[in-house]
Amino acid sequence: MALPGSVKQQNTYDAIVIGSGISGGWAAKELTEKGLKTLVLERGRDVKHGDYPTAMMESWEFAGRTKITDEATAQQAKQNRTGYTTHPAAAHWFVNDVENPYSEEKRFDWMRGYHVGGRSLLWGRQSYRLSDLDFEANAKEGIAVDWPVRYHEMAPWYDYAERFAGISGQKENLPQLPDGQFLPPMEMNCLEKQLRKRIADRFSGRVMTIGRAANLTQPHQGRGSCQYRNRCIRGCPYGAYFSSNAATLPAAAATGNLTLRPFSIVNQLIYDRDRKRATGVRVIDAETHEVIEFHAKIIFSCASAVASTFILLNSISDRFPQGFGNDSGELGRNLMDHHFKVGATGMSEEFGDRYYRGNRPNGIYIPRFRNVSKESTRKDYVRGFGYQGSASRVDWTRGIKELNYFGSRLKADLIAPGPWRFGIGAWGECLPYHDNRLYLNQALRDKWGQPTVTFSCDWRENEWAMRKDMKASAVEMLEASGLKDVTPFDDVSAPGLCIHEMGTARMGRDPKTSVLNEWNQVHAVPNVFVTDGACMTSSACVNPSLTYMALTARACDHAVSELKKHNL
Amino acid sequence: MKPFNEGERAGGLTRREAIERVGLLLGVAISPSILAGALQAQPGLARAVEAKPEFLSAPQFAAVSAMAERILPRSETPGAIDVGVPAFIDLMFGKFMTGAERQIFIAGIVEVEAKARARASVDFARMTPAAQDALLKEVATLSQNREKTFFHQLKELTLLGYFTSETVGKNFLHYDPIPGRFDACIPLETVGNRAWTR
Repeated sequence: MALPGSVKQQNTYDAIVIGSGISGGWAAKELTEKGLKTLVLERGRDVKHGDYPTAMMESWEFAGRTKITDEATAQQAKQNRTGYTTHPAAAHWFVNDVENPYSEEKRFDWMRGYHVGGRSLLWGRQSYRLSDLDFEANAKEGIAVDWPVRYHEMAPWYDYAERFAGISGQKENLPQLPDGQFLPPMEMNCLEKQLRKRIADRFSGRVMTIGRAANLTQPHQGRGSCQYRNRCIRGCPYGAYFSSNAATLPAAAATGNLTLRPFSIVNQLIYDRDRKRATGVRVIDAETHEVIEFHAKIIFSCASAVASTFILLNSISDRFPQGFGNDSGELGRNLMDHHFKVGATGMSEEFGDRYYRGNRPNGIYIPRFRNVSKESTRKDYVRGFGYQGSASRVDWTRGIKELNYFGSRLKADLIAPGPWRFGIGAWGECLPYHDNRLYLNQALRDKWGQPTVTFSCDWRENEWAMRKDMKASAVEMLEASGLKDVTPFDDVSAPGLCIHEMGTARMGRDPKTSVLNEWNQVHAVPNVFVTDGACMTSSACVNPSLTYMALTARACDHAVSELKKHNL
Repeated sequence: MKPFNEGERAGGLTRREAIERVGLLLGVAISPSILAGALQAQPGLARAVEAKPEFLSAPQFAAVSAMAERILPRSETPGAIDVGVPAFIDLMFGKFMTGAERQIFIAGIVEVEAKARARASVDFARMTPAAQDALLKEVATLSQNREKTFFHQLKELTLLGYFTSETVGKNFLHYDPIPGRFDACIPLETVGNRAWTR
């Protein structure tokens, strides 16, 4: 498309960031703070910090409480698969599935929000570091390809990300789960403290710690501390958890170098064959359907794993007939998510006269204890899992089950808190499999005429074998800790439901087998960086967002230093 | 930001606490019946009693109201009708149930009414509370080992409507929408042995 010179100039920035979620927000902050005029392109609507319509609503203000109407369900049939994302308190943060279709050769639950801040507004906020156990695993086991980074290179960037984001947590000195720059930890309740002791006594090498969460336990970087409402998914008016809206985007805006353009769907990257660089992006205005080009020296794709890979796959040129930077053929492959929803619950007869005040938006964490040492090595699977959970007193819903118990005694019972219950669920690592993938579907087009994505992804032997242990170990620990009525659960779900999509443009040392290098640069086009979940070479078993923050900040530092050396 | 409605709590006390406190000042113990009478005087509760159905027929609504009231009857705390549970169930029926769920719900009302007429020759709503309880116990027992029956729907909706109502949430559970801090282990008696409003 030929543009008159003045228009081209007007549409030219130092850097373009695609996406405004966790990774995009960080890229915006880092690049603008380093002096680059930066354009952030967000495909959805604008959301200013504080613009959270349901944040202060009480349950009685939702006509159907947690239920939605058939008509609403029809608009969000896939988003509804989680059971919580389409709750009226949060449904406005998730996409309309009719306008944004995708296809499933094998089922994949793709949960996402198209608005400024993306899923940084909706995330679970659990923030853990990967360790060398994770970075070295592929190489040691001969699985997929080696990560091109090691923990010592990442540690200072984890420090940097944590210091700004504000992660509350407790140091435990575990090699498999490195400590970080923590704000004071949230407290465990009576039963949790008791169980921490019992697990430590009865299981050598197992630790139960408070979750490491991007929820502030004290005012931090101009944001308020947690009010213990546990309504985070609605958006936090206090800015008490890390989101792009509350943290990185305001920091970026404060530099005067940020231009944020909502309703801007990046359709493809523009490649200059002579210079072997990307020169910009082609955008479809989501409202007007107008096609506009923007130009920059560097481009950060932070659109989320699936969306970044979509953009690369859709950026076809003579040089890249199979997708941008896809010399390896790995683009779209090695799709991962964590497998979860398996564990156990148990009841306690202790602490009947104790309770807690406040809704802590965080639980406990039992870090990985399998395959971390010779003694803990399993014959039936590689890698491992961590448990997340919490203890609480059961609420009035306990009164539903026993049908012929009703009347004034039931009512009086249910006004009081119920017995203590403790539950843990495992989050397990998923290996990168070449044929777990997504690809473009040219036949099915979205509202803007773009091709769509088809998924083909499933769990394999290693995940199934691990899953048996995830359940059995949960039961074993709860029983050994003195809990009663220990009940296992195993709600098998399709990949995607954990909302930790990873891979599809993996980092690696060899351009023949990976898409990105050790600095998240597309091997063949070094002025394009991908720093969201797409870059992950393996999934580890911990929640990945903190790693995206650290990788993004690290890549931005590299990008600006390379720009100064005129290498880009 | 929605302001916290101070009017619902008298000087940090719930209405019930305020009534009880007055009783203490007067040196008399407030009996459940006096308390119930005082609660009945709440204007919000009177409105709930007069609610008209939007989706159920008048006889269906009368039956559902009577059944919900037996599941959570008025005692020293308000009953299901006092806090508007019937209107809530009517709305859930009309707007939030699937077609299949609606069928089960209506068939369930028909079945209860048939039993009521066979047994007492009156509508369920006109039976004595004791007879209503006996009939509901029978329906509940028959439903216990089945899934998603009418009685499951009825009990869940009654409890949901009751415990997520504004009246109960603000006055009878422990209401603290902005706790501001987390106290990990407190004596239960410090919150009057009441669960937190969620």
